[in-house]
Amino acid sequence: MFPRIAGVIALTALVACKGQIGQAGDRGGPPAVDPILAIESGVRRLSQSELDNTLRDLLGEDTAPAARLLNEDEFRPFDNDYTIQQASAALISSLEALAEQVAERAVGDAARRAELVPCTPTGAGDEQCFRTFLNAFLPRALRRALTATDIDAYMPLLAFAAEDNAVVDNDFYTAVELAVSATLQDPEFLYRVEQGTPGNTPGLLELDGYEIASRMSYLLWASMPDDTLFAAAGAGTLDSPEGRSSEALRMFADPRARAQLHRFHAMWLGYRSIPHTPELVAAFNRETSALIDRVILDEPGSYLRLFTMDETFIDDSLADHYGLPRPADGEGWVPYEGTGRAGILGHGSLLAAFSKFEDTSPTQRGILVRTRLMCEDVPRPPPNVDADQPPQGAMDAVCKYERYAEHRDQSSSCAGCHSLTDPIGFGLENYDVAGRYREHDDGLPECVIEGSGEIVEVGSFSGPGELSQLLVDNDYIDTCAVQQFLTFALGRPTNSYEAELIEEMVESFRAGEHDFKAFMIDFIASDRFARRAQERL
Amino acid sequence: MAMKINRRAILKGMAGAAVSLPLLECMLPARSSTAQGAPARYAILFAGQALGCDNYAKNESRIDGQSVTEGGHYIADTNYGRGFALTTPLLPLQGMENDFTMVSNLAIPFNANSSDGSAVPTAGAYRDFHGGGCSPLLSGTRSTSPEYVCNGITSDQVIAELNAGQTTHESLVVRSQPGFYVSGYSFAGRQYISYGPGGGRNARIEAQASPQVAYRSLFTGFVPDGDDDAARFDFELRARGSVLDLVLEKRAQLVNNVGRADQERLERHFDEIRDLENRINALPPVVGGQCLVPPDPGADPPIGGDHDGGGTGSVTAGSGYSDEHTRSRVFADLIHMAFVCDLTRAASLQITAFQSHMNARPIADSLGMLPGTVRPARWASVGGDLHEVGHNGDPNNRGQIPSAGLLQWHISHYAYLIDKLRSTPEAGGTVLDNSVIIFTPEAGHGLQLNDGISQNQTHSVENMVMLMAGRAGGLNPGEHVNGNRAHPATVLIAAMQAAGYQGNTLGEVSL
Repeated sequence: MFPRIAGVIALTALVACKGQIGQAGDRGGPPAVDPILAIESGVRRLSQSELDNTLRDLLGEDTAPAARLLNEDEFRPFDNDYTIQQASAALISSLEALAEQVAERAVGDAARRAELVPCTPTGAGDEQCFRTFLNAFLPRALRRALTATDIDAYMPLLAFAAEDNAVVDNDFYTAVELAVSATLQDPEFLYRVEQGTPGNTPGLLELDGYEIASRMSYLLWASMPDDTLFAAAGAGTLDSPEGRSSEALRMFADPRARAQLHRFHAMWLGYRSIPHTPELVAAFNRETSALIDRVILDEPGSYLRLFTMDETFIDDSLADHYGLPRPADGEGWVPYEGTGRAGILGHGSLLAAFSKFEDTSPTQRGILVRTRLMCEDVPRPPPNVDADQPPQGAMDAVCKYERYAEHRDQSSSCAGCHSLTDPIGFGLENYDVAGRYREHDDGLPECVIEGSGEIVEVGSFSGPGELSQLLVDNDYIDTCAVQQFLTFALGRPTNSYEAELIEEMVESFRAGEHDFKAFMIDFIASDRFARRAQERL
Repeated sequence: MAMKINRRAILKGMAGAAVSLPLLECMLPARSSTAQGAPARYAILFAGQALGCDNYAKNESRIDGQSVTEGGHYIADTNYGRGFALTTPLLPLQGMENDFTMVSNLAIPFNANSSDGSAVPTAGAYRDFHGGGCSPLLSGTRSTSPEYVCNGITSDQVIAELNAGQTTHESLVVRSQPGFYVSGYSFAGRQYISYGPGGGRNARIEAQASPQVAYRSLFTGFVPDGDDDAARFDFELRARGSVLDLVLEKRAQLVNNVGRADQERLERHFDEIRDLENRINALPPVVGGQCLVPPDPGADPPIGGDHDGGGTGSVTAGSGYSDEHTRSRVFADLIHMAFVCDLTRAASLQITAFQSHMNARPIADSLGMLPGTVRPARWASVGGDLHEVGHNGDPNNRGQIPSAGLLQWHISHYAYLIDKLRSTPEAGGTVLDNSVIIFTPEAGHGLQLNDGISQNQTHSVENMVMLMAGRAGGLNPGEHVNGNRAHPATVLIAAMQAAGYQGNTLGEVSL
């Protein structure tokens, strides 16, 4: 059953305040092709992270120039939403500066230059060597096979190498540097452009092997295809589900796959830049990454363990921080038993996300659970409420629970929406902004925290462990994880026409006993992964 | 210069907020009195800050945990007319009293009875701060949702359109705050203050947030002195052009083979590359007279990390600050020289974003030591971020004085730019004589826009203030003018007219 997905909401009392994520992606009416067959996609510009990773893998550039020179990406919650990307003069200027700087460094460094140019030029104007270089570099940079005209287009640059100019220190590598700079400014490099060839169904396009390879590498690695994947594309291996499946399996063994899984979860669950000391953040990240690695990669089995795991990976300092027993060897898995914690919701990373006013925010934590784990839409506060101010409650209220009294007052307009969020947050109140257990409000021993929470009309709980179980038992986690994954994979919000597709993907996730790695591989192996439908305008 | 009749006396006592109140006509001179041969320039500098703190009156503060009642800190606290005293925020403008006019008591209308998007009055604000204030303030066009989007062209872009084709850069749009700084969130539209014709999301003009790239875009096109340098420059320019040619030649091949939605995205990208090439191919600017290539600012200051968007306890040292001070000074240098060299005639500088969560501490700690700033007699370091300071995020330091000090820092960049412009000779006067430079904070201080009830609030579009410097079009600055609740866009229209705009409207506001 998929009542939440289909948008059928039986809870009449809450209807006014409930929506389904995905309506925002609706535009232009129903798609020309059934999303079950082929999913709509558009040209996507590489995000800052993708661009920096690609420059690293293509040219050995390790200074993350995109993060320095390009304006920051908007996160909604993922950094790759192409529907809000917009080219601008500022972008073009930054890209030109980036391309020139990166090209200069790539050619200026002897080792990197040798890697880039697989021949020794006989002179400044050595056309053959220039072509050899282009033949090696361009397919990797443009992520496709070359045509004869691709290479010819670069030939005018050779004139700058050969030019007899007394004041300029030009040589063969001048042309190489210009060619690299031009390529890095080429929209074909900066965007993932998928053309495809028309299939049997009108509006449906079959992708070629190289387009599939880029889909795979940017999904699994946030970077360009490596030589093996590229060769597989050329050999036609990726045209078959089996070929894609075996390549994906290989790619999962690469450290870039781990980094990408960490990135996906950090953006999805809102902890990508939590406000704590660098040491604490690093410890939190090691803890959360270890759990992600374990449940997806290292110990095949149910992904739901991300939420239900009864132990956590910590070092001595984090053990002391949480008040847990120290691990045996300075760092390792420590049981949660008796602490009320379980899985990722017991981590400091998650408990630090969505705080407000220097303390935990029951409302914000409720919004996190509703939007990110239940995939519901929580509307903004009505305009006449200034949500920049903490709730005041009764004039003399000291304790936080009382300050939130107005949110619960059924006679006020607040209760309708806050009843969706605050009772969830109050069930996590025993865990402070750094994930430590507390008995009472910070600095206020008289304000004992009761710690009981409720997902209205779903069930009650106390603490992260019980909340996780409640979400798992009521099929929220698997359903929502699939939808978040699809949003990330598509680089755009899903829309209501894709509800059936999500249902089918959830079914397959369940049929595979929630093995997330197998689910991702199945997604990549599916026919629809090798196709696209053109967007409506 | 023939001054029009001073109508202020007549208008005194007029109540209400008629949008077309011709109040500011007095500031407008007869047309075409700009110095011969020098074009008029227009710039707008924006501060993501209000004029006071929540629940504190104009003369109330708390400093080091002590309550203080003291005037002289609220920006527009003084008498009207000429010779008005400089308040704490205005102190960087010492010695420039005759170079700028302050218009206070401006207000954006809103519907007190309804917060519905369809009930917003003409040129009014949707009843949700911060987003609701953006469109009416900068484009004179009503907002109908909480989204940060201007629904009409902004003033700087009107001037850019006016001068289209006459300068290498149609406008210079820059931003000092490179990150939103709140953990888990991004700008979501708060980073835009310039919009092209028609407004809306597609008309947003992305500001350049990298001083290094902005410098490069403006000043690498200059032909250097000396034969060798010039020959080297020629080589580099030709190479740059060939690179862009190569990219542009792929346009048809790429664009013709994709669907229409993809075409639109790629066309926009190629259009921007073509514009870049056109700028490079434009007659290279020549250094001469006052026009000099400024020193290379070098690598950008590192970008600060995130915090939780709160007060003293959570906005930690090292987070939320990317040396916006240095970034703003570099951008002011670039605007100055871009005007002097006539590379552009329209500029916008967003010093801090809407609802800015820049860490206030680095500024507060250095106030009085940063060149051009003056530490108030009572001053203690303010914690929290800029937005929370407005909402009393520091329990010991809040109210008018901290707010005034941080506003002063914003104004120090404005003063720095004005001082440079007035120190640069041009056509028998100075560049400032041919410029009009606006400074606007994001908010006023008064009735809260959201609830329409609470007084002395920062989320307010009442008691707004704009500064207008320069003598373009024969402006005669040096006054404090009571706006009598006129729409702030009326000040922008007056400024636009001084910069050569022949119309008398901005969005839904007429002068």
